[in-house]
Amino acid sequence: MAFIDARTLPDASAIVADLVIIGGGMAGITLAKELAGGPLKVAILESGGRDIDADNQALYAGSAVVHAPDNPDKPFNDYPGQSRARVLGGSGMVWGGKCAPLDPADFAARAWAPHSGWPVTREQIQPFYDRACDLLEIPRFGRDDKMLQDPARRPLDLAPEDGFFPAPRHFTRYSGGSDKAAFDRFRTDFADAANITVYLHANVVRIALNPAGDQVAGLEVACLDGKRHTASGKTYVLAVGGIENVRLLLASNDVRAAGIGNRHDLVGRFFQGHVTYAADTDAETEGTAIHISRDAPMDLYLGPRRGSHCVLASGAPAQKRMGTGNFTATFYAGEETGAGTQAKTETKTIGKVAARIDGQGAGGGQLLGFFAMSEHFPNPDSRVTLDAAAKDALGMPRIRLDWAYSKTDWDSLERSAAGVGDALGAAGQGRLCWPIKRQMLLEISSASRHHMGTTRMHADPRQGVVDSDGRVHEAGNLYVAGSSVFPTSGIANPTLTILALVMRLADHLKQEFGARR
Amino acid sequence: MTALARRDLLAALVAATAGAALPALARASSADLKPTLFADLDMAAAARIGQAWLAARPPTTAAVLTTRLFPNGRGPEVLPALRRRVAEDFRRGAVFVHRGWRLSDTEGALFALLALEAR
Repeated sequence: MAFIDARTLPDASAIVADLVIIGGGMAGITLAKELAGGPLKVAILESGGRDIDADNQALYAGSAVVHAPDNPDKPFNDYPGQSRARVLGGSGMVWGGKCAPLDPADFAARAWAPHSGWPVTREQIQPFYDRACDLLEIPRFGRDDKMLQDPARRPLDLAPEDGFFPAPRHFTRYSGGSDKAAFDRFRTDFADAANITVYLHANVVRIALNPAGDQVAGLEVACLDGKRHTASGKTYVLAVGGIENVRLLLASNDVRAAGIGNRHDLVGRFFQGHVTYAADTDAETEGTAIHISRDAPMDLYLGPRRGSHCVLASGAPAQKRMGTGNFTATFYAGEETGAGTQAKTETKTIGKVAARIDGQGAGGGQLLGFFAMSEHFPNPDSRVTLDAAAKDALGMPRIRLDWAYSKTDWDSLERSAAGVGDALGAAGQGRLCWPIKRQMLLEISSASRHHMGTTRMHADPRQGVVDSDGRVHEAGNLYVAGSSVFPTSGIANPTLTILALVMRLADHLKQEFGARR
Repeated sequence: MTALARRDLLAALVAATAGAALPALARASSADLKPTLFADLDMAAAARIGQAWLAARPPTTAAVLTTRLFPNGRGPEVLPALRRRVAEDFRRGAVFVHRGWRLSDTEGALFALLALEAR
């Protein structure tokens, strides 16, 4: 295997390839897999080694705070370091393997959703979603999903005009959180190809532009042991994650003072994250819960921990009617707590009456817990910036994350939860409990490790950092791969979409290099 | 107790009452809503929910609510009629939120009637 520890190279070594991929995470690895065995000489520069290492991980440290209307600021300083993995395989090492595509509505420009709209459609991305599913060995997503046709896994019978639908989620074994041995093969086997070389412990600390500032001329590479190297190629792909992509672009400011691709002050803005909202039962209130009126099993939604299941999602008709973004409710069978409290006896009473009125079954239905996820609308004030006063061990400025929600986000979340409740009730399928007061939303939220939107894709350079191929508008031979290019973030775990876009980029690069020869 | 076990228990409880309640439903009259349709409810809990609905509205009486909910008596035709009204309520946003539970206004009125009749 062509793995080289950059610390073992002579100081000031020059790494040369046709294509240089910065970052050996899920995006960089997938791009290399697509190009393995081909004519292009490919170098991957990965900061980490094969195992997560504390010194390397410390390079991620920074500061963060979450801002939201009607809520006190939530300090979140651990997040930059703990929500990522700086290692071969990247955050795939700690990923649970959950896969879902963005919905068609996520790609659409929605008049009620600020800064929405991708320069590509779901239909255009679908073939790449299919390829990504094949790579991850999961079923393809689409109307013919076998899970939705299984008579033993009956969906809730909701009115189509309400716009809520069962959205499938599948789990791949190719993640560090699912099957370590399988993932180890996934993150290494491509390097068997003669045209691929992976440099480990190779931190890119500067992207050097040509004097005109419109092309990348080379990269500065640093090792934690003090060695420094250079890397150069014809084309470069930046794939170090939704926060670190920003850090490198902004810190490379010797030719362009605002950083690379940042002429219109867009790099780092529009940060979007995914969080879950759920409340536990206490003596005063039931937690976030749904009383399902039917007695029949809810296997379609509950599924095993790492097995295929569906969430209840709001599609385009529901979003348009409610003026909301994407929203999902994920059901789970929780343990009963608070037995005998007033809240619990009232819950049982409500469930019995609802089930009887709904006429769904003699058993009184079933009580399930749920957590909600609601689209974080693109917001220019939600951003990653550099803290010039704080440097890491390699001299790179640390990041500051100001993760900001707006009133629109809260309105969308609460209207969506109410909308699901109304759809369930109107269809005689159940009742929903949403006991969370607005001023508690930040406190009870739990953040995922998804960092999106910070180098957003847009055809207009004044509105996006990269074009629809992922090419930086202001640097013709530099592409960005990963969830930082997502203009909107929907609800779906981003990895499948990252892979689909990377496969699309791989086809583009093959064509581009083919045309050059 | 796991949710599965709790569901089993709930199912058993309701099954134990359903056999007696459903035949009785056919004989229901205006005087026996409580002992038939809702015989197995925790009436204290139902009353608390009903009181919450009443507290947010102008004063009313059991007779007014009975006329609203059961204009043609409380026989076996009650449930389909209630079901339609509940659906209409949710469709037009006539909801009653109690401790986070999103219920139809009709359900709120039903709990209120149970509360008033329990006095």
